[in-house]
Amino acid sequence: MNIFTADFFFSIIRIATPILFATLAAVIGEKGGVSNIGLEGIMMMSALFGSLGAYWTKSWLIGLLLAMAVGLLESLVMGFFAFNLKTNIILTGTAINMIGSGGCLFLVKVITGQASTTALITKSLQIPSISIPLIRDIPYIGKIISGHSVLTYIAFLLVWLTIVLLYKTPLGLNIRSVGENPNAASSVGVSVLKIQYITIGIGGILAGMGGAFMSMYYAMGWSQDMVAGRGFIALAAQSMGGGEPVGSMLAALIFGFASALGIKISATGVDSNLVAPIPYIVTIIALVIFALNEKRKEKQRHSSAALQK
Amino acid sequence: MGEEFVIQMKGITKVYPNGTVANQDVNFDVKKGEIHALMGENGAGKSTLMKMLFGLEQPTSGEILVNGEPVNLSSPTVAISHGIGMVHQHFMLVPSLTVAENMVLGMVPKKSGMLIDYKKAVALTEEYSKKFNLPVEANARVADIPVGMKQKVEILKALVRGAKILILDEPTAVLTTQETAELFVELENLKKQGYTMIFISHKLNEIMEITDRMTILRGGRSMGIYNTKDVTPEEISRLMVGRDVVLKVEKEPAQPGEEVLRVRDLEYINEWGKKMLDKVSLSVRKGEILGIAGVEGNGQKELVDMLFGFNTPNAGSVKVSGEEILGLNQREIRERHISLVPEDRMLYGIAATASIEENLISDRTANKELNKGILFNMSEIHKMSDQLVKDYTVLCKSAGQTIGSLSGGNIQKVVVAREFSNDPVLIIADQPTRGIDVGATEFIRKKLVELSRSGIAVLLVSADLNEVMELSDSLIIMCGGRIAAYFEDTRDLSDELMGKYMLGIEQQTPEEIRRVCHE
Amino acid sequence: MNKKNDVSGMSRKNSIKFSVIRALAALAIALAVAFILIFVSAEGANFSEKMSASLKALREMLVSPLFRKNGTFSVKSFTDVLAQMIPIMFTGLATCIMFSANQFNLGAEGGIMLGAFVTALVAVYWHIPGPMLIVVAIVMGALATGLMMLIPAVLKAKLGVSEMVNSLMLNYVIMYMINYLMNTYLADTSKGVTQTQPFQANAIMPQLVSNGSRLSWGFVIAIIMVILCWFFMYRTRWGYGIRMTGINQPFVMYSGMNVAMIIILCQVLGGILAGMGGGIEMLGRYSVYNWIQQPQYGWTGITVAILAGNNPIYVPLAAFFMAYLTKGCTLMSTNANVPSQLISIIQAVIFLFFAAHQFLAGYRQKLVVKSAQEELAQKEAAERSGEK
Repeated sequence: MNIFTADFFFSIIRIATPILFATLAAVIGEKGGVSNIGLEGIMMMSALFGSLGAYWTKSWLIGLLLAMAVGLLESLVMGFFAFNLKTNIILTGTAINMIGSGGCLFLVKVITGQASTTALITKSLQIPSISIPLIRDIPYIGKIISGHSVLTYIAFLLVWLTIVLLYKTPLGLNIRSVGENPNAASSVGVSVLKIQYITIGIGGILAGMGGAFMSMYYAMGWSQDMVAGRGFIALAAQSMGGGEPVGSMLAALIFGFASALGIKISATGVDSNLVAPIPYIVTIIALVIFALNEKRKEKQRHSSAALQK
Repeated sequence: MGEEFVIQMKGITKVYPNGTVANQDVNFDVKKGEIHALMGENGAGKSTLMKMLFGLEQPTSGEILVNGEPVNLSSPTVAISHGIGMVHQHFMLVPSLTVAENMVLGMVPKKSGMLIDYKKAVALTEEYSKKFNLPVEANARVADIPVGMKQKVEILKALVRGAKILILDEPTAVLTTQETAELFVELENLKKQGYTMIFISHKLNEIMEITDRMTILRGGRSMGIYNTKDVTPEEISRLMVGRDVVLKVEKEPAQPGEEVLRVRDLEYINEWGKKMLDKVSLSVRKGEILGIAGVEGNGQKELVDMLFGFNTPNAGSVKVSGEEILGLNQREIRERHISLVPEDRMLYGIAATASIEENLISDRTANKELNKGILFNMSEIHKMSDQLVKDYTVLCKSAGQTIGSLSGGNIQKVVVAREFSNDPVLIIADQPTRGIDVGATEFIRKKLVELSRSGIAVLLVSADLNEVMELSDSLIIMCGGRIAAYFEDTRDLSDELMGKYMLGIEQQTPEEIRRVCHE
Repeated sequence: MNKKNDVSGMSRKNSIKFSVIRALAALAIALAVAFILIFVSAEGANFSEKMSASLKALREMLVSPLFRKNGTFSVKSFTDVLAQMIPIMFTGLATCIMFSANQFNLGAEGGIMLGAFVTALVAVYWHIPGPMLIVVAIVMGALATGLMMLIPAVLKAKLGVSEMVNSLMLNYVIMYMINYLMNTYLADTSKGVTQTQPFQANAIMPQLVSNGSRLSWGFVIAIIMVILCWFFMYRTRWGYGIRMTGINQPFVMYSGMNVAMIIILCQVLGGILAGMGGGIEMLGRYSVYNWIQQPQYGWTGITVAILAGNNPIYVPLAAFFMAYLTKGCTLMSTNANVPSQLISIIQAVIFLFFAAHQFLAGYRQKLVVKSAQEELAQKEAAERSGEK
């Protein structure tokens, strides 16, 4: 059986998309000194409101915007506790994740009266796919690159935009200085609090887009536990990518690859429970490899060979 | 004119959230175009007062006037808008950004609406650099430039933001004499152009040289405002500390015994590729204090890190009582009865939210006397810590009090109580009295001498000239990662001579230096 | 975390006063949020109808867990709540110990699941006579979980890999692997739902009361573990090392303690406690293993640890509170039609405020200034009398 079909690579990109959104949120967050483990919960809530919004207004675009708004709102709440009330950021994120799992169920029951899913998204409300002229006609490659959802292209475009934001704009300069030396930033009148809010807010919007992708494209509607750790995997991707946008994107693609492989395997009749943990195991292994590599570099610097230079 | 006050601070009191009263009813004023010294010992409240003037802290009570107008300096931004700029002692620079990027942080020139106009930032940096004759490299990353240049960047940063009043927080602390002289020329230059400066320092000669007036703080209160030319150094020192500045420690001549610490040819290249230790060799014998003097950043920190297992050198050897200790961890090092009074006591020396008692037992939790089977022997622990608190005159309600609520001097007494009391053969004391009050300083210095005379080997690292010269039996001077000089006897050493070696103007021959190995 | 508040110039009396007021304020805010959400979800045509429905729901949540409709105290309800406390006391203790060393291991969730599963396997398949089976089963569950925790612990200690990410990943891995083993090998195929064969009769843990609350002797074991954990944390050198690591890790290294060992130890202990909790929960309240979803006890355990300020001795109190609230929310959902998942929102709100350093910081600053002034006055008085 040939695994590496165009379909397979297509699915890697599709699967990596929501992780990529959250990964970029993590990259920008870490640059600004904000470790956001609440991305998981934010994606959950955004996924719910994205699908609800689309259903209510009969417009996928408004659904997407609502998801982004909810992501922003949640991240600002996080910011209030973490920055203003000085709650440990990890605990703040954990609380947001609690709201993301239990709170979503509460809201689903209150709003729709349904139990644990909303089968609200029909084909017409799904985030549209784009078939790219010319590129789609390239053999093999065309099938991989063309035909993805709008959000997928936006996600990869955002990698580039993230680089521009961080390294070419005043805001990026402020984010990096707040992350590296907040005292330096505040001493020249950069409001650390404001930059931190902006940092976490951008993360919330990005995670919101990831959530919308989950419930409005990846699946038809919201269901319990649908984000399934993608927010956490994004944190791992960020650290594997060395905190830089391109590296982290590649890491997100590796997870896409692992998941796609899992799906391929389970298609051959293997119990899905056996392949479902693959991305999580890959995360652990990848983090270990990354850390070993860092350690080796460290050692090299200390070797007596460095003296010869 | 000339008598017009640009800054007036009236009746300023500041109580920190942890209850420390940093300033109490302080009055302070600065005239236009003067260089005004703010003097006082460490912890006298100078930094706090200036932080309030720069909007980093808010006074608990009192009033601040800028150019005669009452102002509410709620943030640095507000202070900057009133023309106040600050050059911090710990540079407020972002290491991974370039000089130009640091210069324009918070006021970035833009192009095409959104993006950073980096060329403009460089041009601006160079323009100001020329205008005020403060040469910097606009395109270099701050992490890669020398300290003196970092300071110039800090001054330029304030100027480019339109500061007319500059607060300089111990600007010479990190500079060599040449750099200091250079800085003073630059400051005089700025004064001529109509800038006002507040100069924080506790170095008398500098104050006498460059300032017009001075305010002296002691224990958070103002001791008055004086014209520099009207007061003598002796008067100032009396106002500052209420007694003679030089603390004389009585000590008998050392009778060195066998070699305890033996360091040979230690070399270390740091992560930026800079050679921080260059063939450093020394020996410390029983019953003597070997001092290490030098301007900070000349390899002292790296040396101590190697000796206590925090870092590994690229080459060389460190033996204690004949046994190699390089590559050992801190537990193994302590098992060999080596103690360290760390330079950064808040980072390494204590666990701030734990009790004094918990801080006293950290190096001996496995001691038989303090355990009963698998449980702690609490009554023994109480007894031991109460005794140490008493012996080291730690001012506290009880040994159960949170250590973080003590003053710096008392915290340091707890640290030395622990480090001195576990039967050491070698004590490494790194800046043991930095930033603490006179009483605690005197106590710790006496204790060090006492311990050395009882047969312990002491390696004293200190940037405080007075301290190394008073305490050491013999001393070395480090400069640029190397030992620049060794003096067998500290009694007839002059400051001037020391200064020449510290700044690398002179250098002893390898043979002269090798004498520190006692071979 | 909460401990940082202790660096205060406050007198002991003011310090306690502040802690109590702060805790009450956090609870009040959480209840206010809960009430708003109840009100929003309440049925009713107009304001007053909604209001009365909300009040009814609130009563269900706050009063019904222990009291009957007529207001009398119900022993059965009380023992129900106590039984609910058992698993979250264990996950709470596990989290206390891990968080004390600043190890943000969130693996108590997977841990309690793994412990329950391994214990269940022993209880079904290993023929050991008499009550020894109970002991062996629980010990095996605890050990398995302790071993599992070695993964995030060793990776953190030796390579610096985030224990938080790894423990979260392991939670998923454990859940899927258990489900795989259940589906493929272990499930009792004669039943319609996924569950194991029934436990052997001598694996069922004896009950403390026979009123159907399923309050087993596990409760007593939990209380004993609370006491042991307190002694461990505050009266042994290992617990000391764990606490100091949480306050200042470089200090612990500099003092010559083995930081890597402490990081590993606290997480393995956390695993053992969580696994034990899972095993006791199984044998005390179930007759087959049937968890195919995460039981959420791990997350509640985190809340318990936060409420207890990472001090084991307060774990029973915090666990009681959470068990009470959980039961209240369940009752509210059956009797007043408010979804029981409201609990996670309440939990999150309490959690956020409890862990907030700056919550009521202004009030605290006032107390500090007051204390400082009192002290100054005392000192001056002492000096004056000394001069005389």
